[in-house]
Amino acid sequence: MTPAIEVQHLTRRFGSFTAVDDVSFEVGTGEIFGYLGANGAGKSTTIRMLCGLLKPTGGGARVAGFDVDKEPERVKAGIGYMSQKFSLYLDLSVRANLEFFASAYGAYGRELETRIGEMVERMQLGAVQDEVTGALPGGLQQRVALASAVLHRPRIVFLDEPTAGVDPIQRRSFWELIRYLASRGTTVFVTTHYMDEAENCARIGIMVDGKLVALDTPAGLKRTHAPGRVLEVRGPRLAPALDSLRGMAGVLDVSRFGSGATVRVDPERLPAEALADWLRARGVDPLELEDSAPTLDDVFLALTARAQRGDD
Amino acid sequence: MHPLVVQYRAVVVKEVRQTARDRRVMALITLAPLMQLFLLGFAVNFDVRHVPTVVVDRDKTAESRDYARSQLAGDTLDSKAEVSDELAAEEALERGEASVALIFPRDFQKDLLRGEGAQVQALVDGSDPTRSSVAANAVAQYAVLRAMQLAQAQAQARGETPPRSPVELMPRVLYNPELSTSVYVVPGIAAMLLLIVTTVIMAMGLSRERETGTLEQLQVTPLRPGILMAGKVTPFLLIGLVDVGLALSVGAWVFKVPLRGSLTLVAVATLFYLLSTLGVGLLIATVSRTQQQAFVGGFLFVLPAVLLSGVMSPIRAMPDWLAWLTYLNPVRYYVEVLRGALLKEAGLGDLWRQVLALAVFGFMMMAVASRRFQKTSA
Repeated sequence: MTPAIEVQHLTRRFGSFTAVDDVSFEVGTGEIFGYLGANGAGKSTTIRMLCGLLKPTGGGARVAGFDVDKEPERVKAGIGYMSQKFSLYLDLSVRANLEFFASAYGAYGRELETRIGEMVERMQLGAVQDEVTGALPGGLQQRVALASAVLHRPRIVFLDEPTAGVDPIQRRSFWELIRYLASRGTTVFVTTHYMDEAENCARIGIMVDGKLVALDTPAGLKRTHAPGRVLEVRGPRLAPALDSLRGMAGVLDVSRFGSGATVRVDPERLPAEALADWLRARGVDPLELEDSAPTLDDVFLALTARAQRGDD
Repeated sequence: MHPLVVQYRAVVVKEVRQTARDRRVMALITLAPLMQLFLLGFAVNFDVRHVPTVVVDRDKTAESRDYARSQLAGDTLDSKAEVSDELAAEEALERGEASVALIFPRDFQKDLLRGEGAQVQALVDGSDPTRSSVAANAVAQYAVLRAMQLAQAQAQARGETPPRSPVELMPRVLYNPELSTSVYVVPGIAAMLLLIVTTVIMAMGLSRERETGTLEQLQVTPLRPGILMAGKVTPFLLIGLVDVGLALSVGAWVFKVPLRGSLTLVAVATLFYLLSTLGVGLLIATVSRTQQQAFVGGFLFVLPAVLLSGVMSPIRAMPDWLAWLTYLNPVRYYVEVLRGALLKEAGLGDLWRQVLALAVFGFMMMAVASRRFQKTSA
């Protein structure tokens, strides 16, 4: 079976700035593929090229079996796209939006009714379908936008930061919809900068400064890029102690959060007990020390730090 | 149904729904043009009447008083006041209280009766050229008329046959016999209002889609630019047609603009004209990032298009190089069609060049806008 998306040496330059730099990857049919990166790392530029909105300056991509540069119209018929702006007609009713986007893909009559009916039910929009879209809260607008993007049953749906600015409960129910789409065989290509969301993806590509610096399953990424043991520490006089902790043998990463910090250590070289003793000796007493699991945050921080240091 | 038809219909329905929901746009395309037509129809008036005139009568005789009374009896000059001397008359002109001063020197009646070339002086404020030339004309015409009357009266008194003027001019004004400005100006104003409303609405409508991101959403659908443009333009073609109908009705009822020619010809020309103005609006939107830019861009087109159309000032009065520019202006052709068809009952046989020019311009604008749109999206 051919992959849903094949990207080879894809490059996009704007003047002297390279937004996407020689990126290659494949996404399988029915896969939920996460595309992670900071703002300006090249996520949206990649999506825009894959949707035929922007021409690549180098390399190429096949989406839904068609070349994005040579056959953009055929690509467009096979994909759905939802931007972070939820690009809906806010002055029209929910139903008018759905009708418009369904007909833009050529649906009409009974088929249009069936598709909209199904989608309204699946996205639980029945109660609001006659309301003006702009008057709805963000979470509902987001569902209308997703519904508009997948009404024509595309093989692949691109979601560009679909959960930006939406509350956690809405985000969770949104991901249920994404999983439902994938279970029906729709390939989902989603960008986000919420690391907890990225855990839902089968595989994740991480973009730093236009380059794809890592590509693996969430577990694989953690094994490769955030190895060791993660310890959560809390206590008084933590800040000065942490500063001298950085760079100590066996300490892989230190990151602060609120009242404490997570310290990732190589357990071979620095056992947890040794770290605890060292911290107590610096006045961090009483010390709380808990085992924690590495997260994609750790992966992301490690990769960004490595890129900033300039080694590959 | 063919997918292109489905898509086209979807865009039309969407545009109609959006327009119908937007009260401001509805007001802009229906009420505003009518109100402006009404106001401008009255305001733009080249008829020169009731020019305030002061009289300096140093003669104070029956002849001088009679001359002044008759001169001021017409519509053109109105008696403002009688002042004592030339100085006071000049002051009145300077202050703008009067635009004409008639000055009768001492011995006016004596010279007249002796047949020695009696003199009347007229001072005319030349700062408004139209007004002053009409006023000066009125003064000169009356002097000729008066001289003729006097000569006839004197001949009769001597028992001779009164002389007849060797040349008699008998002007007959065609198409607009009352020489009413409104009849000439209202069709021009209708064309101008249609231009402003349609260009600006179209330009802002498309750039609003760019601003809110819906344009990008449209660009990932299989909707072709040509279909999108056609669908966006269609409702406004119909609205514009209704607007012209309303404008002509107001013109006919309020300003007595005749509807002599073929209304079908007017409707066809209107459609091509609207295609041009809407096309320009779309083109402006393709080069604008925001609605504000589109608005400004719209006016940068609308202003010269109106000034170089013959609506406000006759093209014949322009220098040659400027007059040439008007051939690139759809407003010029449309105004010619409106005035020709409505006032002179001109048909397609007389106006086919203008209609053809409008059609070429309209389809060209739409094609160029679609092409540019395709380029900017890629």
